[in-house]
Amino acid sequence: MPQLRLTGRGLWITVLIAPPLAFVALFIVYPIVAAFAYAFYDWQGLMRGDFVGLANFHQVLFVEPYASWTRNAFTHNIIVFFALMVLQNGVGFILAYALWRELPGARFHRVAVFLPVVLSTIIVGYLWKLFLHPLFGVVNQSLKAVGLPFLAQPWLGQDTTALWALIFANAWHMVGFPTLVFLAGMQRIPGEILDAVRMETESEWVKITKIVWPLVAPSATVVFVLLFVGAFNWFELPYIMAGLDGSPYGSTDVLGLYFYRTAFGNVSAGQQNFGLGSALAVLIFVFIAAVASVITVRLRAREIQI
Amino acid sequence: MARLSLRGIKKRFKTTDVLHGIDLEIGDREFVVFVGPSGCGKSTLLRLIAGLDPITEGTFTLNGKSMNDVPPSRRGIAMVFQSYALYPHMDVYENMAFGARLMGLTKAEIEARIDEAARMLRLEPYLKRKPRELSGGQRQRVAIARALVRKPEVFLLDEPLSNLDAALRSDVRLEIARLHRQIGGTMIYVTHDQVEAMTLADKIVVMNQGRIEQVGSPRELYETPANTFVATFIGSPRMALIDVTREGARVGVAGGGSQTLDRMPADANGAFKIGVRPDGLALARGNGGDGFAASVVYTEYLGDNAFVYARLADGTQVGIRTAPGEFYEPDEAVTVTIAPSAAHFFSAADGRRLAA
Repeated sequence: MPQLRLTGRGLWITVLIAPPLAFVALFIVYPIVAAFAYAFYDWQGLMRGDFVGLANFHQVLFVEPYASWTRNAFTHNIIVFFALMVLQNGVGFILAYALWRELPGARFHRVAVFLPVVLSTIIVGYLWKLFLHPLFGVVNQSLKAVGLPFLAQPWLGQDTTALWALIFANAWHMVGFPTLVFLAGMQRIPGEILDAVRMETESEWVKITKIVWPLVAPSATVVFVLLFVGAFNWFELPYIMAGLDGSPYGSTDVLGLYFYRTAFGNVSAGQQNFGLGSALAVLIFVFIAAVASVITVRLRAREIQI
Repeated sequence: MARLSLRGIKKRFKTTDVLHGIDLEIGDREFVVFVGPSGCGKSTLLRLIAGLDPITEGTFTLNGKSMNDVPPSRRGIAMVFQSYALYPHMDVYENMAFGARLMGLTKAEIEARIDEAARMLRLEPYLKRKPRELSGGQRQRVAIARALVRKPEVFLLDEPLSNLDAALRSDVRLEIARLHRQIGGTMIYVTHDQVEAMTLADKIVVMNQGRIEQVGSPRELYETPANTFVATFIGSPRMALIDVTREGARVGVAGGGSQTLDRMPADANGAFKIGVRPDGLALARGNGGDGFAASVVYTEYLGDNAFVYARLADGTQVGIRTAPGEFYEPDEAVTVTIAPSAAHFFSAADGRRLAA
């Protein structure tokens, strides 16, 4: 049996690891565990009431009006996920391919595409709120200027366009991230493999679908999983651009906003219920963890070593 | 049928000239080897023929048709790469089938071609394996099989053996030679290894600094090198180049003896270079007599023979083949003599071959 001795090196390691470990335990592990526990109790404001078992979960999932609110928010998260899959990851892949092929101006565009990612979500949210202002916003002004006034809409003010406006702003903000990850993946493909394909076909479509796409599988895994987690944790951008109620009429409501409203209350709702909020938080967490693991495992399986 | 014709081919990368005007004819079923030191432009020339890089100037025709603007996949040319360049996500079968499908062949035809290629290169047991599950030699055979399946008119091979270990290298070399006899296509092979060039080629193209130094059969290159570059590049150990001055019927080395020669270059009166391979030089112990004074640098013992390296009075180092039983000590004084029939003559000014 090896003996544990506190050597100088071991002491150093302990000293260096202990503070971050304590930090993680206090601010990440404890809240998660606590939320799990809270979800099983009845709450009166900040005062914990009786143990109620799965009643909170039952209420947010099956009792009206919570059930329809949950369904509404969850549906929006799903829309956000699939829309961003196309607008963010899909466009990111195409941009990465264009940058990788060293088209003229690639160097400038590499910076330009990534620049918005550096901005804080708060800034991007306010920026796009101004851009999308129905009267003075640069979007509608431009549409009018180029002779398309009928396309000028109150983008954030009507339920048919509000969610899509948010999705678009998010894609604009974050598209540089998948682009960068895909670009890094593409740059790992050996030049001779591409030469070998060029000897067999001149079709860009075949090159992309049969060679480049399968070979950037590791990058795809990363951006898919991160987008999934991001889409179901979506909060800051809708909070800033659409408010806690997911206005108008809940058309931009997502699980993050709904949880926040339920747990901490809101000017318009007035209710504040830690039990229901925690139940929602736990459901979101379990759902994300379960699906993200499945996605990761499945996508990992198709990765190959170059 | 595949006849390639390169006329005045130049290649420029931004501001660097890599090829300075290449003229070359390659006949049907020929096995041509481009050989030269690294950076001489041989791989660049191959990539121009493949169509992977555009030709800056000049024309390349295949069977009389200009290929300058034809994309690589439509030239009827297949290429085997140094790193094999197999598609890592496809198994061996798919690697071979990929190009064939893109050619629009029927399923049955593809099957038949893959069967044939796999049989020729003994790949049948590996068809379902991924490239990473194969050894280097097996990967190289897959790369060659992939090229075969397309039944191209011209095969290009870019240093195909350089990633293999020495033992495997000679195996795959034999395999390539056998394959060329069997399928009879035109093959262009790039290497920096003169042994590969000598053993495989019908025709060797020796390149240096973006120019062709000489084109010829291995025997022509060995026996009548056109200049000192080819003379020293082909043959191992390399040919010795001795600066001499003519004194009537004798040639002398500055400060170190002279000997009679019954052959002399016709148009050289004063100074010129004599090139001699190790087996054209003889060695005697001690200084004096007919020949050049030299001192031994070191001896390489190779079992069936030995090479003695000696330094002449003017500092030129020469390699001499001797019987393996003879030992010479470093710094021992010796006399080197040239067998007149083995002497090659080159101009002292530009290194060109001088007729005797």
